[in-house]
Amino acid sequence: MKTKINDIFFIFLLFVVIVIGCKKGDNQKFTDTPIIESYLEPDSFLNITITRQIPFSTDVDYSPDDINNLSVKILYNNSTHILTPIGNGKYVDSTLVVKEGDNYNLSFTYNSKNVSAYTYIPSKPVNIVQSETVIKIERMDSTSGPPSLGTMPDPVTITWDNTDASYYLVIVENMEPTLDPIRDFGDKTPPGNMFRKSPTNSSSEEIRAMDFQYYGTHRVILFHVLPDYAALYEQNSTSSQNLTNPSSSIVNGYGIFTGLNSDTLYIEVSEP
Amino acid sequence: MVFKTLFNILLSSRYVIHIVILVLLIENSFAQQKEYVFNSKGNICNFNYICYSQNNEYESIKRPFIFIIGKSGETTIETYINDSLKKSPQFYNYMFVYVPNRGSNAKNKLECIDGLTSLLTYNFKYGHNNLFLTVYDPEITQADIDANRLNAIFKNIILSKPDTNKIALVTNKNIIDDFKETAIKYDTEIKKDENEFGTYYIEEENSESDESTKEIKSQKNYFGPPTTYKFTLTGIVRDKSTGEALPFATVMVKSTSIGASTNADGYFTLLKVPTDTTTLIVHYMGYNEEDVFLTPKSPKKNLLVELYPSTHTLKTVTVAGMKEEVVLVNKTDINTIKIAPKRLEQLPNVGERDIMRSFQLMPGVSASNESSSGLYVRGGTPDQNLVLYDGFTVYHVDHLYGFFSAFNSNALKDVQLYKGGFESKFGGRLSSVTEITGKDGNQKKFNVGADLSLLSMNAFVEIPIGSKFSSVIAYRRSYKGPIYNAIFKKFNKSTSTTSEPTGGGPGGKQIQNTKVTSYFYDLNGKFSYRPTDRDIISLSIFNGTDKLDNSSSSNASSFGASNSDFSMSSTDLTKYGNVGSSLKWSKKWNDKLYGNTIVSYSNYYSDRNRSQERTLTNSSGEETTTSNGVFENNDLKDYSIKSDYQWDIFNFSQLQFGGFGTYFDINYSYAQNDTSIVLERQNKAMLTGGYIQSKTKLFNDKVQFLPGIRTSYFETTKKTYYEPRASISYNLTNRITLKGATGKYYQFANKVTREDIMSGSKEFWLLSDGNSVPVSSSVHYIAGLSYETNNYLFSTEAYYKQINNLTEYSLRFNPSPMGVSYDENFFNGYGFSRGIEFLAQKKSGDFNGWVSYTLCQANNHFDIYSDSYYPANQDATHEFKIVALYKYKRWDFSATWIFATGRPYTAPSGAYSITLLDGSTQDFFTVTSKNGLRLPDYHRGDISVNYKLLAGKVGERKRREIGYIGFSIFNLYNRTNVWYKQYTIEDGEILETNVNYLGITPNLTLSLKFR
Repeated sequence: MKTKINDIFFIFLLFVVIVIGCKKGDNQKFTDTPIIESYLEPDSFLNITITRQIPFSTDVDYSPDDINNLSVKILYNNSTHILTPIGNGKYVDSTLVVKEGDNYNLSFTYNSKNVSAYTYIPSKPVNIVQSETVIKIERMDSTSGPPSLGTMPDPVTITWDNTDASYYLVIVENMEPTLDPIRDFGDKTPPGNMFRKSPTNSSSEEIRAMDFQYYGTHRVILFHVLPDYAALYEQNSTSSQNLTNPSSSIVNGYGIFTGLNSDTLYIEVSEP
Repeated sequence: MVFKTLFNILLSSRYVIHIVILVLLIENSFAQQKEYVFNSKGNICNFNYICYSQNNEYESIKRPFIFIIGKSGETTIETYINDSLKKSPQFYNYMFVYVPNRGSNAKNKLECIDGLTSLLTYNFKYGHNNLFLTVYDPEITQADIDANRLNAIFKNIILSKPDTNKIALVTNKNIIDDFKETAIKYDTEIKKDENEFGTYYIEEENSESDESTKEIKSQKNYFGPPTTYKFTLTGIVRDKSTGEALPFATVMVKSTSIGASTNADGYFTLLKVPTDTTTLIVHYMGYNEEDVFLTPKSPKKNLLVELYPSTHTLKTVTVAGMKEEVVLVNKTDINTIKIAPKRLEQLPNVGERDIMRSFQLMPGVSASNESSSGLYVRGGTPDQNLVLYDGFTVYHVDHLYGFFSAFNSNALKDVQLYKGGFESKFGGRLSSVTEITGKDGNQKKFNVGADLSLLSMNAFVEIPIGSKFSSVIAYRRSYKGPIYNAIFKKFNKSTSTTSEPTGGGPGGKQIQNTKVTSYFYDLNGKFSYRPTDRDIISLSIFNGTDKLDNSSSSNASSFGASNSDFSMSSTDLTKYGNVGSSLKWSKKWNDKLYGNTIVSYSNYYSDRNRSQERTLTNSSGEETTTSNGVFENNDLKDYSIKSDYQWDIFNFSQLQFGGFGTYFDINYSYAQNDTSIVLERQNKAMLTGGYIQSKTKLFNDKVQFLPGIRTSYFETTKKTYYEPRASISYNLTNRITLKGATGKYYQFANKVTREDIMSGSKEFWLLSDGNSVPVSSSVHYIAGLSYETNNYLFSTEAYYKQINNLTEYSLRFNPSPMGVSYDENFFNGYGFSRGIEFLAQKKSGDFNGWVSYTLCQANNHFDIYSDSYYPANQDATHEFKIVALYKYKRWDFSATWIFATGRPYTAPSGAYSITLLDGSTQDFFTVTSKNGLRLPDYHRGDISVNYKLLAGKVGERKRREIGYIGFSIFNLYNRTNVWYKQYTIEDGEILETNVNYLGITPNLTLSLKFR
């Protein structure tokens, strides 16, 4: 009897050892998912950039696909266009000029998966009104301390029609060949010649005098963008739990594939 | 004539359903033996036996009896022929009874002897002193005799083989002495020491020859005829020393399958007890098994059975497996594990005896979550485990980040875990049930006790008032000892106070003040009042609180040009706990109907504030204050009323039914700084319903079938939910039991996981809203097989559990392209878990323990995370556990070793940049596939040793146990086990930090009690 029990015990232990021994490694550390970057603007050729992610780990397996030689297709108006690779992950179709209101479907195969995305081209902003075309700002230096608000001119207000609460974005760019700073930047790196406001789904935007860094002619571009582009700006915090991939129409990929439309205004910044 | 009388007596006894009598004439010359059949076919004690009397006098009962068991493989008649004793002239007036050697082990061979002696010796006036047994089978040892408690029946037993010098060799001289007739009437009842309150310890050196060590065994003292047949017996099982009622004890009629379990109040009802002279076996873990020899004078209602705590003799393990040591009712309960809190100190611990941790040593319950006292049962999460404490639901079972369970073992009496396929009586959870019964308190004498360990102080007091009122109060509080600090630091080392540059340059001076006031405490109280012997009213109160404060403040005044003051206070305060109370009224309406009604309140709250408040005072005295961080608040209230009834309709069937109503009020809010609330939820709803189930035994009690249905109406969804369930068990043989169960389960209040890849996911309770947080459901399928011998248990169970409508909360995705609405970040999915468990347990001996292995797969499927199934957070493919317990004199040694596959996790895997329209670039991070990585395998060994402290002087034979000194080492070989990983992104680079579980942690416990 005792031997029988011992036998059962032994078989049981043996089984356990075998099962533990058969442990399989199933780590899926890094998935080689393509990054797409493409802004579709009316009257320009459709172009797209495909890149790879930068992995945190060094021992990763990339897919054997050649990022510079993929078969990238655009389905547009029921016809399929194959884009021409021009190197560095860029693809273009010089026969395909983007048109307002049209739909574009992207697809290609990467890492054995079908990557797809879709977008459409929103309407051009209409009824744009600009409160001022010239704004006068006093020159400042570090010894004079911060300016008092009383001396600052009123902001420039830009309004437009937005009946469907869609997203708009204002970008301001200094056009001068040499930059003439309004204030002394001290030891800090001088800011670039461009700044932006956050995307908004209202119908106006204020550009405050403080936003301007340089004197001269500025171009104000009002973009009508889609929500997926606006979502990129929601993720500007990389702290704590915000490990968010912005929502986009891209399946099996990351990045942005979005249509946009714009109109341009001008503002002159000068000394009083 | 003689024969006829005997026949009539036997027939009228009804103990045996029918008897076939064969008379064989073998030796006409001398006397003739008679052969009878004991019991009817189908009964486990059905066999033929032979009676022989030298003087051919079968009527006389004023004579000694010698029972003889033959050699293995021998028939009764062969035994009879081979036996030479029957011819001894000294035994001329004796009755010889030849019993067949049946079955393959000692237990089978011996288990029916008692029943037969009971049958043949009624009317026998000389009792115990003239009953003898001879065993010719060398496989039967003294241990087997002890295990079957035949010493209580026979005055002397002679085995064919010497066994550790206890029994002399079989020689005629000894036999004549040993089997000598005693003409003095024997009917004195063994008097029990009424002052035996407490647990006694008997020095093993002395115990061998010491008769008094066995005196607490009751002995048969009535040998007269039965007067009542097939009657209903009701009673209560209590602890002899404290009067504490013992719930879920088994009460069996010996040598039959008639049996019952006591209910939560210790009551039992046995229907159709064959006669009033039968023997009951009463078993409760951690106590001596007790034989109760019924007599016609025994009460048939409210029979009091008192069990002794088993320190003296018990060498079995703390945790019993799927079934109890003796065959019986529990054998049929599927998936149940039971723990005796009394014996918990034998297992190694981190600082506290812990019931939840002990369950984690069993198969099917994950052991690799040091940070959760909650139970991960068969791929389920702790919130899917219903925890009932004296009838009310406890929603949070952790202290100190989960390292300790919220239950103070000093206040507990009984704990049962149903691993799956649980009955309709329980509801509102998807996976499992833990039913905890608190102590009622010593009903006989005042008692007080205290434990001191490196983690906490623990004290209890038991005060009885009169015979009707008892109370127990237990209080436990941590202090900042080395273990507390080790755990606390583990969690808080990441919250280092950074020295902020204040613009003051090197001249700046920083002062940091840290005031840490962290602790946990819990308080248990139970007050019981028994106005009649049929009513019990008890009030149970439970309060546990954790306050974890790691706040600090710093001031910096600077001497530089900017001349400004900066002060920062960092708050890191978590306060959480439970408040629960139940008022219960139990009533035994009549012998067949028992019911109880419970009104209860349970509250779980968690308040977390981990923030930094910065105050900057500039040169002109203006102050600006900003507050940033995480503010999380969860508050759950459960107001319940429920009634449960048990109705013993037939002796083979019990009907259980009841109704319940619960009003839930669950709030949750989550804010990232003082102005922006990410999520705020307030849900209230009523849940009402009822259940009915029937426990029925079929086919000669070989099959137990338990079908049932539970229905619930949930106010929020305005739907009725039906949960049909059934379980079945089949005793294929005496040792092999097959089990199966299936059922549907719904859960209305769920713990939702808030996914946080960077700093570890957190969970919070939410009530289903029928929409973004749907009512979750599961279906269980379970099949099992167990094989049990006297000393070993082998058990295996396989399960499959389908789960629907799981909810997770993640800010990783932005489901709405039209903007951000955090309320939409609830994602739903489904999953399954399946697995197989093995348990091999040695149940008795000085050296005992068990080995278990679980192969499990717990997968989830959330569309948002993946197109396919991925491993759930709690998935651990392999779990292997060894528990070894060794007892030597006053020392208890134990060692455990646990291995578990590392749990899955998700990590940042890469980055990419997008050039925005303004020419700037924005970095984004990608993560691995959901739970695509695994932490390193978990393993850990623990050891402990306890030395019992005894009252009295050294050398005294019998000394009362008054406590113990225990030393244990947790994580003996200082294995670094990873708890979770934390990430910080700095300048586009990911920094990974492992947050590890406890390293080697020794602990010392001193436990003392008055009784």
